[in-house]
Amino acid sequence: MIFPGIVEQLLADSDPLAARGSHFPGRAKNVIFLFMTGGVSHIDTFDPKPALHRDVGKEIKADHPEIANRPGYERIFLKKPQWEFSSHGESGTEVSTLFPHVATCVDDIAMIRSMHTSHSNHYNATLGMHTGSFAFSRPSIGSWVSYGLGSENRNLPGFVVIAPKQTYAGTQVFSSDFLPAAHQGTLVVPGAEPVANVKPRVPSDRQRLELDALQAFNRLHKDKRQADAALSARMRSFETAFGMQMAVPDAFDFSKETKTTLGNYALQPGQTSGFGWQCLAARRLIERGVRFVELIDTGSSGNWDAHGDMMSHVGLAKNVDQPIAGLLKDLKQRGMLEETLVVWTTEFGRTPFNNKADAKGREHHPWAFTSWLAGAGVKPGVVYGATDEHGLHSVVDKVHVHDFHATILHLMGLDHERLTFRHAGRDYRLTDVEGNVVNGVLA
Amino acid sequence: MIMRYCYILLSTALCFLNVTTNAADREGVEFFEKKIRPLLVKRCFKCHGGAKAGGGLSLATSAGWQKGGETGPAIIPGEPKESLLIDAINYRGLEMPPPDKGGKLPKEEIVLLTKWVAMGAPAPGDDALGGMSLKEARSWWSFQALPKGGGKLTSAKIDALINEKLAQQKLTLSTITDKRTLIRRATYDLTGLPPTTAEVKAFLADPSADAFDKVIDRLLQSPQYGARWGRHWLDVVRYADTAGENSDRPLPHAWRYRNWVIEALNRDMPFDEFVRWQLAGDIVNAKTDDQRLREGIIATGYLAVARRYGHDIDKDIHLMHEDVIDNLGKNFLGLTLGCARCHDHKYDAVTSEDYYALYGIFNSTKFAFPGCEPKEQPRDLVPLMDNAKADAMMADYQRRLDEYNNASKFEESEAQRLKQVAAKAYRVLSKALVEETKSASIHENADGKLDRLAVKKGEVLQLTVMPNGNHGADTTRIELEITKLGDQPKTYNVSDLIPRLTKQGPFVKHNGATWCFFDVAEGPRFLLNRKDSVDGVASLQAWANGDTPSVFVNTSNSPVKVWTTLPPKAFFMHPGVKRDVALSWVCPEDGEYEVRGTVTDAHPAPGLDGVSFRFEHFPNAKFGDGLVGLTDSYTARDKMPVKPAIPVAYAVVEGNIKNARLQQRGDPKQPGDEIPRRWLSVFGGEAVSSGSGRVELAEWIVDHPLLARVMANRIWQWHFGRGIVATPNDFGSRGEAPTHPALLNLLAAQFRAGGYRIKPMHRLIMKTAAYQRSSQVDPSRRELDPNNRWLAHYSRRRLSAEEIRDSLLSASRMLDLSTAEAHPFPPEATWKFSQHAPFNAVYDTDRRSVFLMVQRQRRHPYLALFDGADPNSSTPSRESTTVPTQALYFLNDPFFHRQAAGFAATVDAKLSEDEQIQHAFKSLFARPATTDETTIATQFLAKYPGNTKAKWSAFARVLLSSNEFLYVD
Repeated sequence: MIFPGIVEQLLADSDPLAARGSHFPGRAKNVIFLFMTGGVSHIDTFDPKPALHRDVGKEIKADHPEIANRPGYERIFLKKPQWEFSSHGESGTEVSTLFPHVATCVDDIAMIRSMHTSHSNHYNATLGMHTGSFAFSRPSIGSWVSYGLGSENRNLPGFVVIAPKQTYAGTQVFSSDFLPAAHQGTLVVPGAEPVANVKPRVPSDRQRLELDALQAFNRLHKDKRQADAALSARMRSFETAFGMQMAVPDAFDFSKETKTTLGNYALQPGQTSGFGWQCLAARRLIERGVRFVELIDTGSSGNWDAHGDMMSHVGLAKNVDQPIAGLLKDLKQRGMLEETLVVWTTEFGRTPFNNKADAKGREHHPWAFTSWLAGAGVKPGVVYGATDEHGLHSVVDKVHVHDFHATILHLMGLDHERLTFRHAGRDYRLTDVEGNVVNGVLA
Repeated sequence: MIMRYCYILLSTALCFLNVTTNAADREGVEFFEKKIRPLLVKRCFKCHGGAKAGGGLSLATSAGWQKGGETGPAIIPGEPKESLLIDAINYRGLEMPPPDKGGKLPKEEIVLLTKWVAMGAPAPGDDALGGMSLKEARSWWSFQALPKGGGKLTSAKIDALINEKLAQQKLTLSTITDKRTLIRRATYDLTGLPPTTAEVKAFLADPSADAFDKVIDRLLQSPQYGARWGRHWLDVVRYADTAGENSDRPLPHAWRYRNWVIEALNRDMPFDEFVRWQLAGDIVNAKTDDQRLREGIIATGYLAVARRYGHDIDKDIHLMHEDVIDNLGKNFLGLTLGCARCHDHKYDAVTSEDYYALYGIFNSTKFAFPGCEPKEQPRDLVPLMDNAKADAMMADYQRRLDEYNNASKFEESEAQRLKQVAAKAYRVLSKALVEETKSASIHENADGKLDRLAVKKGEVLQLTVMPNGNHGADTTRIELEITKLGDQPKTYNVSDLIPRLTKQGPFVKHNGATWCFFDVAEGPRFLLNRKDSVDGVASLQAWANGDTPSVFVNTSNSPVKVWTTLPPKAFFMHPGVKRDVALSWVCPEDGEYEVRGTVTDAHPAPGLDGVSFRFEHFPNAKFGDGLVGLTDSYTARDKMPVKPAIPVAYAVVEGNIKNARLQQRGDPKQPGDEIPRRWLSVFGGEAVSSGSGRVELAEWIVDHPLLARVMANRIWQWHFGRGIVATPNDFGSRGEAPTHPALLNLLAAQFRAGGYRIKPMHRLIMKTAAYQRSSQVDPSRRELDPNNRWLAHYSRRRLSAEEIRDSLLSASRMLDLSTAEAHPFPPEATWKFSQHAPFNAVYDTDRRSVFLMVQRQRRHPYLALFDGADPNSSTPSRESTTVPTQALYFLNDPFFHRQAAGFAATVDAKLSEDEQIQHAFKSLFARPATTDETTIATQFLAKYPGNTKAKWSAFARVLLSSNEFLYVD
């Protein structure tokens, strides 16, 4: 958009980021992936379990990975949810008082209450939710989508991750791994210089002088070397980078956003951090053609991992609730929700039990949790799947992380079994050898 | 959970199949693999995929479906109408899959299955080894013996073989490149650094026929050779400086392996030896000298640097073993052995049993343990000295530590006891407040006269200085003299302490008396911290507990100015907040004593309010005897003993020797049969005869022609950018076939015949015309062979991440060519890394980039940007991507800007601008600037605002960003 000619030029060559066709017409063009770090309690947020109020304190038995051979956890007791649920919208989907703003959006949301995952450890479950692999380093879902569909803006990366802190498993969660490096997630850290090296170190006019001289030398060099595509590509990359220096700050410059818009995201004018900032930045990146934006709410400590006291959910929910609702409403109002898929998830749920009836916290729970989808191609206002009466097991229409991934790819027009990459003699996929599209959440 | 289990079963049943190949019917098998197997897995395996097959029918193997279930054989090959399976899926009689398990298959799937049965139900046969038939496996090209002889390969012969292919492809050759290009190419290839201007000049000036040979020899002798070729090897072995488990713990000793690799390449260690040592250096060198054993142990760091997995590494140890087996298969044999963890290899002649035969070898090996969140700090690091010697050192340390701890315990209980002894009998002789800036007399303040005081041996006179009010503390000067009256008078004066204060312990024994210094708040706690200087002033010496309380002396003959001016040759006491400080004098003999003394505020300052003191007599010899006992304890024990620094390696040793059991579907919780430790069955399956089997494994590998083939191919690839086999880690059926099979055979044979020396291989390759060709190629020719498989020209290449950074440092003359050792990791004792707070650091260095600290969980931001090696899996060749974020680095990165400014500073101000431009081009590009370039440069320098420094920094950025700088022709 800064150098209109560049796009065409780049598309002309074999360019890893060139926008590519999907396997079949996709309902969504872009994804905003909201990741809540640490394990959000499903039974305190989006999965009401009245039976827990009735059975609170009741001892149960469970062959649970978090209590096996753990001293002090020989006996476990049901613990009741700490927040009230009520029905919302025309769909009547129940949401707890932790998410009053998201509750106003339930008619746009397909709530999946039967999620389950393959590991009870943050690191592995977080890696799994991002890459489909629970142990090994593999490409992230954002990289797969970027690889599958390319990007529509050559001045911005195709896959952007906005995170104030690193979540579990480090940079592996947004790594392109064996996919071409162009599909690597670009990390944006809210603050003064959100993208590394994007801030010009010399004034723009001087930089232009430098670039002109550089390109003049490069042209002389290239002319003697008979059309080497790599040399031309590198010359163009400098113009793209020059453009990025403006395009990136422009995407993060909210000064032209109205007070009302800022207010919807719970943002103050001039604010450059917070989840509201991340959400609005996501909308602005999507507007500019970024394919996949992931927002991570917090880091690998001080997160939703409420072993000690569930009350820590209050602040964490407050941090994200209004911004998420603001994002959904803003996208909808602008007509962007029709082509943008919004994904909300965490790595696992939290146990409906603990080792004392009056314990304040909850443990990691891979057997059941809630994630939701909204926007492009998603059946609005539905609840899909269910856990048992205590929220212990997903029992109806279970959705594993691989199924969740298959569904997201499907909404993008990608067949998870055909989106493969040959590496070390094998064809790899995001969903390994598993995954079924969850048809029940498709519009 | 049950549903999840089915899920696992479904997804891994694919792996569980007895995958075999009937060579006679490749097409049929292919059809089965592509269409039928996935269908069976998806639709049937939930019930008919495993041992507990529904209705007794297993569809997992051909034996299974031929045997059939309770109702008879499921399939009659070639007879769909007779086959129960086909009836069942058509819902004729039986209804499969049943309505509650997915229901009737879609029509197209029924058609596929019917077609397959009609074809004769082709499936992998039983005469197979993993994914190949025995016949195929035995004749697989890369497993064949190397040509006999060897040792006679010449550069000319290599060219002949290449030219033969080029002629077949009807490709015309590029000419031999010019000398400047050649020396730049060769220097980067062998050292990863640019040639210096002087080196270029010397080469240009050398008209002799062997001028280039001399360049090669010089480069091969450079220690920088190891930094480049060692890095190649570190790529392949996925070297990293962290463990990779959930908290990504640092590996503070891994560097020894890294440096060993560099050093081994520098001295051209024979590659077979190099391999043998990495697998079993600890054992094969056990009976040699210490130095060699040390090296052998360090070399096994290759095994130890395997990635660790999970929260508790021990629980996921099977994944580490996979990493080991996968890596050694790819590195040494070009075989993807890791594929056989969950099932027989689908394509190559490797079975699951083979995998677990090797697994047993590594399971019988004790790997250094890097620590992990639940198990905390490292263990099983391997001492780099004789075990007995190391054990003796540790035993001695343990003994001293025990003594120390026992003494500490004794001192603790003594302090408690003496506090009570003191409380039982004491007499305050004098006390006073010493106001700010004032002095107070000890003796004149006394109730009774202190000029004739009866004190018995072992009794104690004690001066205690206390902070006044709440104001903490102040520096207090003490003058005190105790004189024994009588025929043989004796004096005891605090001035005796001035030269002796820190010579003995937190006490001074002089003239038979014992002076003790302690904190009295909780019993006599001696001031244990000796300070040989205070505030950096060496004439001030102290005993203290932390900073205060303390006693200290000024040994200087002149006043010392610190927080206040301290008089010369003086003794001071300094109480702390609620920490009274005491000076005790233990009487050496019964008698009458006279005491005279003064307490002075030695730090007059506004706002302070002085101190107070108390002078007491403890008329109980048990107190003084106890104090002396304590001083004896302090004398007997030294300081807290320091743990001996036994140099250790992150390496392996022999462990608990036993065979492993096969893990069904790769799941250690589902053990199968015990598998004897042995070599791959396709290569004979020889059994391990002793120990873990690492030594024999190393011998089997070294003896196999794959080793020479794979490594010869790598050497070739690291020169030409592409191997003769373009998949250097895969010489199996999924790998690419060699473009020049005869050449690869000869290279491998030559490598082996030459004693597996790598350096002669460089000479052989670099002296070929193929290597020395120009990178110039006209576009039409390029189209004929876009990947330059036939080597009609030299493949221009971008510098690697390391080369870029090292070249930048070299341009600025900031490059430090010395060898780095350990990284500045935080001390092990302080580690509290967890998955919530994993280790995370980036360490700057001006040394070569091979010494950058590389983390597994968090890619090094610079190395990740420029396609550095993957620290988690073997990188046989580097990618070369071009992305705008790389250009941003050249535009704005502070390190890049520093190097550019550094280069600008090397430009001689005394030269004319033209000369300066020429200098810049020569030193960065190994060639003079052309007229066009000089013009661009002159105009740029004229136009660019600012002073010369600013202009030249900008110009340096332009040159250092240029394609010419970044690419090797």
